[in-house]
Amino acid sequence: MRYRLRTAPALLALTALLAAACGSPAGPPAGEKNAGPVTLTVWFMRDTLSDALVSRFKADFEKTRPDVRLDIQIQEWDGIGQKVTSALASNDPPDVIEVGNTQVAEYAASGGLKDLTDKTVDLGGSDWLPGLAEPGEIDGKQYGVPWYAANRVVIYNKEVFEKAGVKEPPKTRDEWLKVTGKVNGSGAQGIYLSGQTWYALAGFVWDEGGDLAVNEGVRWKGALDTPQALAGMDFYKRLQALGKGPKDADEAKPLQAEVFAKGDVGQIISVPGGAAAVERANPAMKGKLGFFPIPGKTADKPGAVFTGGSDLVIPEASQHHDAAYEVVKALAGERFQTDMAVEMKYVPNRVAFAGALKNDEAGAAMAAGAANGRATPNTPQWAAVEARGVIKEYMTKVLTGGDPRTEAARASQVITEILNTRS
Amino acid sequence: MIRRVLLNALALAILLVSVFPVYWMVVTAVKPTLEITSETPAFWPSRPTLEHFATAVAADGFWGFWRNSLLVTAGAVLLSLAVALLAAFAVARLRWRGRRAFVLMVFIAQMAPWEALLTVMFIIARDTNMLDRAAMLTLVYFMITLPIAIVTLRGFLASIPPELEEAALTDGASRPAAFRRVVLPLLAPGLMSTSLLGFITAWNEFAFANTLIIKNQDDRTLPVWLSSFSNVFGTDWGATMAASTLFMLPVLLVFLVLQRRVVTGALAGAVKG
Amino acid sequence: MPTTPLTDPGTGPGSGPGPGSGSGSGTGTGTGVRPGSGAGRPPLRARSAPPAPVPARAARLVGLWPYLLIAPTVAGAGYLLLYPLLRNVVISFQHFRAGELIRGGAAFVGLENYRRVLGDPEFWEVTRRTLVWTGVNVVSIMVLGTLTALVLAALGRRMRLALMSGMVLVWAVPVLAATTVFQWLFQSRLGVVNWLLTALGLESFRGHTWFADGTSTFVILVLLVVWQSVPFVALTLYAGITTIPGELYESARIDGAGSWRLFGLVTFPILRPLFGLITSLEVIWVFKCFAQIWAVSKGGPDGATTTLPVYAFQVARSLNKYDLGAAISTLTVLMLVTLLLFHLRRLHRHEGEPP
Repeated sequence: MRYRLRTAPALLALTALLAAACGSPAGPPAGEKNAGPVTLTVWFMRDTLSDALVSRFKADFEKTRPDVRLDIQIQEWDGIGQKVTSALASNDPPDVIEVGNTQVAEYAASGGLKDLTDKTVDLGGSDWLPGLAEPGEIDGKQYGVPWYAANRVVIYNKEVFEKAGVKEPPKTRDEWLKVTGKVNGSGAQGIYLSGQTWYALAGFVWDEGGDLAVNEGVRWKGALDTPQALAGMDFYKRLQALGKGPKDADEAKPLQAEVFAKGDVGQIISVPGGAAAVERANPAMKGKLGFFPIPGKTADKPGAVFTGGSDLVIPEASQHHDAAYEVVKALAGERFQTDMAVEMKYVPNRVAFAGALKNDEAGAAMAAGAANGRATPNTPQWAAVEARGVIKEYMTKVLTGGDPRTEAARASQVITEILNTRS
Repeated sequence: MIRRVLLNALALAILLVSVFPVYWMVVTAVKPTLEITSETPAFWPSRPTLEHFATAVAADGFWGFWRNSLLVTAGAVLLSLAVALLAAFAVARLRWRGRRAFVLMVFIAQMAPWEALLTVMFIIARDTNMLDRAAMLTLVYFMITLPIAIVTLRGFLASIPPELEEAALTDGASRPAAFRRVVLPLLAPGLMSTSLLGFITAWNEFAFANTLIIKNQDDRTLPVWLSSFSNVFGTDWGATMAASTLFMLPVLLVFLVLQRRVVTGALAGAVKG
Repeated sequence: MPTTPLTDPGTGPGSGPGPGSGSGSGTGTGTGVRPGSGAGRPPLRARSAPPAPVPARAARLVGLWPYLLIAPTVAGAGYLLLYPLLRNVVISFQHFRAGELIRGGAAFVGLENYRRVLGDPEFWEVTRRTLVWTGVNVVSIMVLGTLTALVLAALGRRMRLALMSGMVLVWAVPVLAATTVFQWLFQSRLGVVNWLLTALGLESFRGHTWFADGTSTFVILVLLVVWQSVPFVALTLYAGITTIPGELYESARIDGAGSWRLFGLVTFPILRPLFGLITSLEVIWVFKCFAQIWAVSKGGPDGATTTLPVYAFQVARSLNKYDLGAAISTLTVLMLVTLLLFHLRRLHRHEGEPP
């Protein structure tokens, strides 16, 4: 009997604890109840902005809006699709999210984003870059606000080029191979090109007149196995062999900027902003970096490039729509756009702001390439192709000795399957 | 004699092969970067350095993640220990209708495909406002470790003769006192090995920590941080290995503290000679 | 294994719910093989021990008490395991994609998801691969684990302590740390494995990219999982071996049995229940192994390391097809249960006997 009486309270307490822990009806998230300033959470992607630029923006914004505090968090690209989907589905998502322009269509289609159509005039949307505005729009409604664009250029080490006796940056693909081969023979790596830099491959494929996937009316079809696409892959393979880039990794593993920063690499393919990362990793590289547009097949036309970039979105479930819009407006406005273009060497979101890059070598190289800019297939399913790493795996297969034709046919089939699934 | 030599050689081979990866992790962590990136690996660091540890520890919020992991892990272990003890007692000492089914369920629960429940758990956490909360993680880890905790504790309890308790009772001790004085000390190794197991499981867990902590990045745990660490410092193998070493340290410590009494105790006790 | 539940090798699994704990009274006193610590109850059945009398007091407690004692367990399992599992099954009958996750409201589609999963050749390919994965891993783990246990038992004191410490050290390596270490060992340019193979004269391994090829990635993952799992098996079996009375060996030896015959004649038969238990535990862990595969290869390259749990995760999380993912994971659970049905039935039988 005593046994019963003594243990019962402990037992009850434990059950109660468990029940409490399980069903605790949480109030609004911390920081909401206090009368103080609201805190907005903003997600930027890794390496989008320099730390200095982020803190400058934060300070500026909080000065104009003392009632708002910004909690800016940096997200990794790896697995970001799942993370943003989760965030959009949660009750307390971040208030502003940077979203890659190849992925924004998928989120917009899912219904988790706030419709910003009525703000386009306020934001000066008439001359937005189409490569950013179009993927952010679905059924005539604008969900994504263009933020910045960038395309890849070649960053080269002037010292290494000089040592190899190269005077002029190449203008055509043939020259490029020749020059890179020459540098590669001079004791340095000709080019550090990881095996899975698929944006670069896409450019070569477009140059040949091919594409990653084509729209046949209602259906999409993977197109890596066309002769044009195979020719693009062949060029990639020849170029990749002129250096020690890993065949089974992308440019983030290891970070190519850090490899390049060691000083024994001739070139990398990167957005101009990558130069800042190189200089950060090794300050001695300052002044040694040169830029040229990715060469095309002929000297009169630079190579086609993938126009990368990001949109800004506001989750429907955000509890601070108005304040969040203020943040978006500031990020998309002229003041910040100019600041960002100069510091990060991005193409601003509006044609009207393009002057910011005029006197910049890297900017000039990028602008030259941008004239021939292209986008990935415009379908919400494209994000799944990226998430599955289909193209990356195909590239590794070919680079490690697989038969291009067979591998391309297989990869194309997978892409076809993915693009034709209704979500 | 030859047999002896062969046996020892075999043992040495097993030892070398199994310990080498751990050795390589630690050695890489203390090697200067130049030696890590040299084409011929150095099997012994010429000039040991702690710079990689400095890099790892200096990474944003390292101590915060450390604390989160520790809190979540400790919470889950304690909760699971308490709940498992009750259930184990019921299973090992009492006879009741449904006991068979209960034990069967506990065993099946060990097979639970936790990774498959990520999405569902996310939805449940969201609908109960438990998203982005360490408490939710604690509860999940508690549940992951509970079945094996019950199984283990029950095994230990069953090995303690009920007669001992009975004897104490006849000596006039109350039931709880008898339990505390007689059973609990005998059960100590069991409780320790159970907490060790729970600690490791919770300390290791990555998938749920990555799914249930979305917005508050400061609430992330060490495994999640380590996974993003290799994203950020992918090329810096020294720092990655240093972080991995630091990640392993608490487990090793727990092992050393608990294991001396549990593993060696039980084993050495049984070892003849 | 990463989630390797770490039970005390001496007692945990041996006296767990497995056959080992079945019939004895729990004390093992009758056999004279009682281990020193008291906790290390022999995993073998104490056949000669009479069933312990059920204490009179315990009998009086029969009533509500047991149910109150298991109430927290049942409540926790109900909320955190059973409910999610049911919810998962429900989703497997719905059309549930990113839109439904975000906006809510999902329509039932009957068996449509199962029809699509089972009609997809990829699912069967993945299932076949999962069985191969489980088979290769479990066999390697058991063989190497047993070998190590036997070596441990035969060693001198000092060497044994060294080897045991090594096993415990390996055991303590967290999963994510282990995956980073293995990726570093097999790194193409600076990895020590390539250096070693090149130094041994295998020139083709200079800069070899292990993770580019499906088969070699698969092999590395097997190595990783085996490496992480052997300590548990070795230490547990070793603890089991030490409980076997020396007289049994002696009499067998007098009959002229050699080392191998001794294992077949004495060790294995006596430890059979323990072998059974460990094997089924390893089957479970290897079959649902996820973290290592995900961290190293994400199921690639080209799906060569996609096992069922990885497949379910890919479909659900990477492709946002939560409905198909739910169907796959439900099927996975059914498969696992079928695989272990034999073991479960035996367990169930044993549980029928008095505690």
